[in-house]
Amino acid sequence: MTSPAHPPEPATGAATPVPRTPDPAPVPGAPPAGGPLMIARQRLHPLSPVLKSVRTLIIVIAAVSWRGLQNLGTKNYALAVLGLLVLVLLYSAVAWRFTGYEVIGRELRIHEGVLFRRTRAVPLERLQSIEVVQPVLARLAGLAELRLDVAGAAKSEAPLAFLPLAEATALRGRLLALTARTPAAVPASAETAGEPAAEQPDEPDLHRVDDNDVVVSQFLTPPVMFTPLAVLYIVGQLMLNSDFGIFAIASMATAVAGTIGAPVMRILNFWNFRLGRTDDGRLRIRHGLLETRSQLVAPQRIQSLTVTWPLLWRGKGWLRVTLAVAGQNSAVNADGQRSRAETDRLLPVATLETARALVPLAVPGIDIGALPLSPVPARAAWLAPLRHRVLAAGLTDAGFAAVDGLTTRQLTVVPYARIQSVRVVQGPWQRRLDLATVYVDVAGATPAAAVHRTIAEAFGWAGELTERARAARQEV
Amino acid sequence: MTEPHPVPYAAPAPGPLDPWPGEVTWRPVSPRLVWLELTRVVINTAVLLAACAVVGVLWSTRWAVIGAVVVVVLDVTRAVVAVRAARSYGYAERERDLLVRHGRMVRHLSIVPYARMQFVDVVAGPLERAFGLATVQLHTAAAASDATVPGLEPAEAARLRDRLAALGEDAGEGL
Repeated sequence: MTSPAHPPEPATGAATPVPRTPDPAPVPGAPPAGGPLMIARQRLHPLSPVLKSVRTLIIVIAAVSWRGLQNLGTKNYALAVLGLLVLVLLYSAVAWRFTGYEVIGRELRIHEGVLFRRTRAVPLERLQSIEVVQPVLARLAGLAELRLDVAGAAKSEAPLAFLPLAEATALRGRLLALTARTPAAVPASAETAGEPAAEQPDEPDLHRVDDNDVVVSQFLTPPVMFTPLAVLYIVGQLMLNSDFGIFAIASMATAVAGTIGAPVMRILNFWNFRLGRTDDGRLRIRHGLLETRSQLVAPQRIQSLTVTWPLLWRGKGWLRVTLAVAGQNSAVNADGQRSRAETDRLLPVATLETARALVPLAVPGIDIGALPLSPVPARAAWLAPLRHRVLAAGLTDAGFAAVDGLTTRQLTVVPYARIQSVRVVQGPWQRRLDLATVYVDVAGATPAAAVHRTIAEAFGWAGELTERARAARQEV
Repeated sequence: MTEPHPVPYAAPAPGPLDPWPGEVTWRPVSPRLVWLELTRVVINTAVLLAACAVVGVLWSTRWAVIGAVVVVVLDVTRAVVAVRAARSYGYAERERDLLVRHGRMVRHLSIVPYARMQFVDVVAGPLERAFGLATVQLHTAAAASDATVPGLEPAEAARLRDRLAALGEDAGEGL
């Protein structure tokens, strides 16, 4: 049942719905530029149900093996597993018949389910970003998952799994073209639909993060730095403690693996990190060693940008840049598991010069090396004895910016057009000192906070921020 | 409220709860909100005291009495805080945004543009209904946005809801 990706025929009737085509590898035809806002109903790849249930299948087989091998004997056990496989394949065949997606008007509909039929309608205007993800197993089969980030609650995610890679990339181009309000964007992305191997970029990468830097940066994190201590502790326990059970050793090994697991996962995730820009100004972020991801984000969808200087990276002069895109935190895998990989990075590790050059792609007109920020008044030292030297905030040309954090310094930038609401909060101690904190709320991210400003400045900023936010909204 | 710059950059002597004196007409919430908050505290006290009484009867320890004293002291403090907080609530409808202020100890002021509104909730719990009050909540795409106006007369709540719903405009950002 492994069918390779067919090259798409350019003249598939895009406007006529073909509900029950027994074509095993349906491919959305590329419509002529500026064609109708329709994609006829297509099936997902036949392997999708198998890939989706592979985790459950492994668990079931493991559960059967536990008892089955003893009770049934090798021959019966093999038969049982075989029967299970046949059942799964049968189920997949049935399930596949009900899978499908189509675009009607400005809505993407995803059909799924056998017993509980589910049709999920995603308004294309609500799409925040689209990611093409290839988990390891799917990558072996040459398949990819299209992950649509929709703003809102965690249940609004819409994974489209699985499609042949070329088809996924092509479909993403077409969906983005439909999403874009300017019809000029349609021909630009429609031409990518013709490539069977659309993996190669149609534009050069603007930046490539050095894999060595990724590895070194991830080893310069607290969990990894403390791992030698943990290992020493275990070895010491082994030497000195004679009645030391195997269980304790195993649990300690698990603990070490747990601490070192997160950095290793990040290294795998941020491997081969490339940043590019499409013709219509979208950011293209691609990374991953085992599970590869390719993400397209429109700068209008970026709610806030955070630059972080971790303490251990200061010697290297490194920083990382993360983006907040509404709905991205709620990204969920096809098998319902919450995605553990971080997909919010603009730069996993970079020097200040690189970041200065690349951050304007995400938030135009911002120079993170020279922000006109003002410090807090000296009396804030009563409330933040050490931190008050770090605290700074200001209204820059591009957006509201605030710096906080003594050890892990963090700069948050919110473009004016993305401001949702503004709050001024004054605690009892702040009132004594005539200080207040200004919060700028954004969708899908923690609010940016300008801590300990003078009360006059805080209310002045609150008014100015609402004014500028309104002006920026009307511009868009 | 039709001036082009309703907020001067440096307001003259802004009070902690009135940042823009003379320019914004604050509306208070219903005075019955104070009684509602007091009733909540009284119910809470009654439940906790009943628990203390049960413990005292069953085990006849001194701790029940101490507990009851602690409950009373804490709830008197709570009542004072709740009454002050309830009195401090105020809201103002400006041309393009809703202002909500509340709090005495920690003072909050929220500015929520109508354009950012996702939906409006009018909530009235059983106790609120008994007092003939309702709460209007304005939701934006940001979870941290805090625009809740409690203690409104039902007619005023409906008016505010309708006005907010009418003023919301499509920002066209998919949010």
